[in-house]
Amino acid sequence: MTVENATGTVALTVPAEAGYLALLRTVIASLAAGRDFTLDEIDDLRIAVDEAGALLLPHARPGSQLSANFAGSAGGLRVEVAVTPPAGPLPEPDRSSFAWLVLTALTDSVELAGSGGRLSLVLTKVRGTRDR
Amino acid sequence: MTQRNRPGRDRTRQLFAELAGAPPGSPRHQQVRDELVEIHLSLVRYLANRFTGRGEPADDLVQIGTIGLLQSIDRFEPERGLEFSTFATPNIVGEIKRHFRDRGWMVRVPRRLQELQSEIGVGINDLTHRLGRSPTVAELAGHLRVSQEQILEATESARAYSALPIDVPHAGTGRTIADGLVEPDAAMDHVELRHALRPVLAGLAERDRQALLLRFVENKTQSEIAEVLGISQVHVSRLLARTLAELREQLPDLHHD
Repeated sequence: MTVENATGTVALTVPAEAGYLALLRTVIASLAAGRDFTLDEIDDLRIAVDEAGALLLPHARPGSQLSANFAGSAGGLRVEVAVTPPAGPLPEPDRSSFAWLVLTALTDSVELAGSGGRLSLVLTKVRGTRDR
Repeated sequence: MTQRNRPGRDRTRQLFAELAGAPPGSPRHQQVRDELVEIHLSLVRYLANRFTGRGEPADDLVQIGTIGLLQSIDRFEPERGLEFSTFATPNIVGEIKRHFRDRGWMVRVPRRLQELQSEIGVGINDLTHRLGRSPTVAELAGHLRVSQEQILEATESARAYSALPIDVPHAGTGRTIADGLVEPDAAMDHVELRHALRPVLAGLAERDRQALLLRFVENKTQSEIAEVLGISQVHVSRLLARTLAELREQLPDLHHD
């Protein structure tokens, strides 16, 4: 279920399964389009959401949920994708992995955050950093 | 990765031993074959699930995948030391993919959407040259006189038909397809993954690799890559989505080579 509240935050919670990543892609594409991102940038965001999912889902346990929080900011979008609750202890991000390289190339910042009940990736992308 | 209990594995070995001893066509042979199918149906269902959401009912895909399973049972040679699930998985997936190919999956995209996709390709090229940058959805929608929703729908479905990553766990069992393919002790860590990546990149088609490196190492935009490679941005988008999905799929596979 997606809810856009007064501050412009959209929250989406789905079962932690790869099949649901399409929903996250759809939401982020729609939000980015509404904020005048270019098609290049929108596709970057779609791939980034896929990769974030591929990084997080192995840390899901049966019954875990994948939650995404999308927030607009002045010139861009911030999305937090989280697995709740994650299985096992929180992993160290491998910043030399290919998935990490892909994420950093597609977004303006990537952070892995985690505390007891959740493991999350926070991505931000600023509109038109290259083109305008 | 924790050691997992797989009661089905020993039973599978036993059954294949029995199958080899029973004359083909005999009732016993048929019976053993049926049981082998039955205990591997969950694998077929799992693999079929990766391809749902493309306008094919899951039940049909399970049936098609089962054909791959049957062929695998008939061709499996236990003495070669491979686990049956390792041997069967590519056959099952292959059968399902062949089905999509034969049915011409792209043809199943509504004609209206197909036409829009080609208009979008042309529109993106026109606007990119006019604006000197990738257009926004609003600009492209205005240019083509269609809604922004239509643009989003068409660009999402244009990059579709990439299989789901193989290393994503099933929510019900927590197991991944890759788990089914490798021995429990052979859990991969990231160091191995990194080593594994090199041959995978080397195995990519030249243009796929070039696009990947331009995007993720040289940090070029899709429009810039389109320019360099002389193809459309839509094509670059599809190529990147497909190549990344392929990479995810291949990494675990390297393990039992």
